[in-house]
Amino acid sequence: MPDDVLALFRTRLGLEEVPPEGPFVPPETLPDIVAALKEMGFLLFLYCAATHWPATENRPEAFTVAYGLRRPGPGSSTARLRVRIPADGSIPTLSGLFAGADWQEREQYDLVGIHFEGHPDLRRLMLPEDWEGHPLRKDYAIDTHHFPWR
Amino acid sequence: MVDAHPSHEPVAPALVEVSGLSLPAAITHLPRPDPYLNVEDYEPEADAMALNMGPQHPSTHGVLRLKLFLDGEICFKAVPYVGYLHRGVEKLLENRTAIQSVPYVDKNDYVSPLTGELALVMAYEALLDVEPPPRAQVLRTILMELQRIASHHLWLGTFCLDMGGALGGGSSVFLYNFRERELILDLLEALTGQRMHYNALMVGGNRHDVPPGWEEKVLATMDRVEDRLAEYEAMTVDNHIFRSRTVGVGVLDPLLALEAGAGGANLRASGVDHDLRRDAPYAAYGQVDVRIPVETAGDCYARFLVRIAEMREAIRIVRLLVSGIPEGPIGALKPPRHVNAVKLPPGEVYVGIESPRGELGTYLISDGSPIPVRVKIRPPSLHAVSLLPYLCVGATVSDIVVILGSLDPILGEVDR
Amino acid sequence: MAVDETSRTFVHPLYGWLEKIPGLSVGLTTADAVLSWGLEHSLWVFPMATSCCGIEFMATMTSRFDMDQFGTFTRPTPRQCDVMVVAGTITVKMAPRVKRLWDMMPEPRWCVAMGSCAISGDFYRNLYAVVPGVDTFIPVDVYVPGCPPAPDHVHAGMHVLMEKIRQVRKGTFRPNADPAAREGLLRPSIPRIGDPDRDPALSRAQAEAAFRMDPGCQVTPRSEDERDVP
Ligand code: SF4
Repeated sequence: MPDDVLALFRTRLGLEEVPPEGPFVPPETLPDIVAALKEMGFLLFLYCAATHWPATENRPEAFTVAYGLRRPGPGSSTARLRVRIPADGSIPTLSGLFAGADWQEREQYDLVGIHFEGHPDLRRLMLPEDWEGHPLRKDYAIDTHHFPWR
Repeated sequence: MVDAHPSHEPVAPALVEVSGLSLPAAITHLPRPDPYLNVEDYEPEADAMALNMGPQHPSTHGVLRLKLFLDGEICFKAVPYVGYLHRGVEKLLENRTAIQSVPYVDKNDYVSPLTGELALVMAYEALLDVEPPPRAQVLRTILMELQRIASHHLWLGTFCLDMGGALGGGSSVFLYNFRERELILDLLEALTGQRMHYNALMVGGNRHDVPPGWEEKVLATMDRVEDRLAEYEAMTVDNHIFRSRTVGVGVLDPLLALEAGAGGANLRASGVDHDLRRDAPYAAYGQVDVRIPVETAGDCYARFLVRIAEMREAIRIVRLLVSGIPEGPIGALKPPRHVNAVKLPPGEVYVGIESPRGELGTYLISDGSPIPVRVKIRPPSLHAVSLLPYLCVGATVSDIVVILGSLDPILGEVDR
Repeated sequence: MAVDETSRTFVHPLYGWLEKIPGLSVGLTTADAVLSWGLEHSLWVFPMATSCCGIEFMATMTSRFDMDQFGTFTRPTPRQCDVMVVAGTITVKMAPRVKRLWDMMPEPRWCVAMGSCAISGDFYRNLYAVVPGVDTFIPVDVYVPGCPPAPDHVHAGMHVLMEKIRQVRKGTFRPNADPAAREGLLRPSIPRIGDPDRDPALSRAQAEAAFRMDPGCQVTPRSEDERDVP
């Protein structure tokens, strides 16, 4: 990640070291930080990827959501950050800042079951509307019975 | 002859600075339609009507469904529905090892399978910190460019087919393009033994070395393809009907394109000078000086011009590289004997490459077991389709078909 | 003109009456042969192209492979077509649409399943979103295996279909004439994944066989505690 992004993360989050995979950002401050990155020229929306972490003995069930932005043009660089939320938590939407976040968030809602607060149209994107469950959760078996076809 | 559209005249357009990026002023900050417009609130001038296109429609390039709300013939709201080809590849990749997973990503973007493979394989290589040997890198670059030519040929053919009778019965350009695409498929078939889903790459290198005489064949094919390219240009570039269907249609604001995550020719036709092959070189792109064609009009015609120029550029890169493929091994790792021969270290990587449709990325989380925890494919086509609610507003139904074609989405990649 | 669903031949109401006229049956046989020849050499194809196989089917229709030479011709609407070529993966969301398009096609109609996805779901067959083969909801006449089948294989498949049409019209081959057998054929001989009748041991054996590509090769199952939130 470029130096200006590292400096932003250090000042905004009070971190000493920023891991290359991106720092963990508290959900409340996510829109502010992403807006600041957008000001700095990170205009291209890359990805929004949610992961389900099932409960184990040591920790409760949780989700992480990772975001990536890119600064276009010669010498292009990426900015990456992550958000960790509890099983029943939700995360503010970025669809107001980035038009591309809209469908990515709908996809993550559909497949992983994360609730994006303030999203204008949080419907399933890939699967039929009446589908039960969220397939990319770890407790969803890959060959779940899917009859009838709709 | 149609009067040249003002934005296609060869004068330097006025630029505007946005967050450190120079964008063409004429098309930046265009008014954005509201994709969530309430249909009840809209007051139509003519008869309002809802029209459903797809999921089985010859010009939706696969199984895309579009719901169009029309005011007379002008669309005032468009709602795309995707997911008719959602096969759950991401879930499948979470249950497959690094060696097993390569053939699955072929089927995502089935018009350019090799770029899909490279994005996945490079993510695994970044995680494992493996560097393929120079011969593999150069071969990969040649393969990517051959695939780009084949993919753009298919795009040009279907794009002209969508415009129907405009071009001498509509299917002439389509038939000509497939003729040249077959030549490139022959080259790839000679290398990998498959016409479409090649499974040509693996973690740490390539799977197939070049057969004898392949380089000469590549050069001969490139000559032939370049000759024929002039033929297509003669049929389209100055064609009255072609221009009146594309010039000024579907103007894409570069800021919207960036924020929506569009890539490839869609971005470069709107004046954004961005291409990962030059800006964040991977494989052997660092060794060649990639010239990036940029247009500033942002319409369907500009996207067409950029793709044609990209084909020429790809031919140039292939010619440059194929005459000097370095000697050496084609893989950095020993050929695997077990499906779980590659042990993954824990970590989290994102790798993006420039596919013919834009930035194709793979985001991978591993926890140290042979199979990854999460694989997310960043599909450029999904972002291209998500532009439709903005681009279709104010267009006629016949223009919507052209706009959709000019964005070049592949539904397999949208839905995965 | 009524249609006999099971044998898929025309049965005109006049036929039975005409056949009683002495000497006419020879003429009718000749007329039937001509009709049959016309039928099998003017197959209009409705390409139900959903994914990768659709691209390969497009290539089959172009000048190099030239399917037009058999009178085969693609039309984008099911209402004018005789053959539906299902080329590509059929997902849970797409299946009812395919069925509906099939129902729109006029009789007599045939179906060609092109590619392993349309035949059995390919390697997606036990995934949550994919239908394990198009023959689970529409009757298939010819299967063309491959991933994707090369255009020559599609040609071969169309020839098999022509042969089938010819034989059915001649009466030398009556596919599934018995409605009960037909019903049985619509169900796969081995119950598919997701079918309550399927033996779980079968799934396990198949999965094991898939991993037996090399002696000693197994996927180590990942224990739950090894995973941790980073
Ligand atoms: S059989 Fe193979 S080529 Fe055909 S649709 Fe399925 S995955 Fe694609």
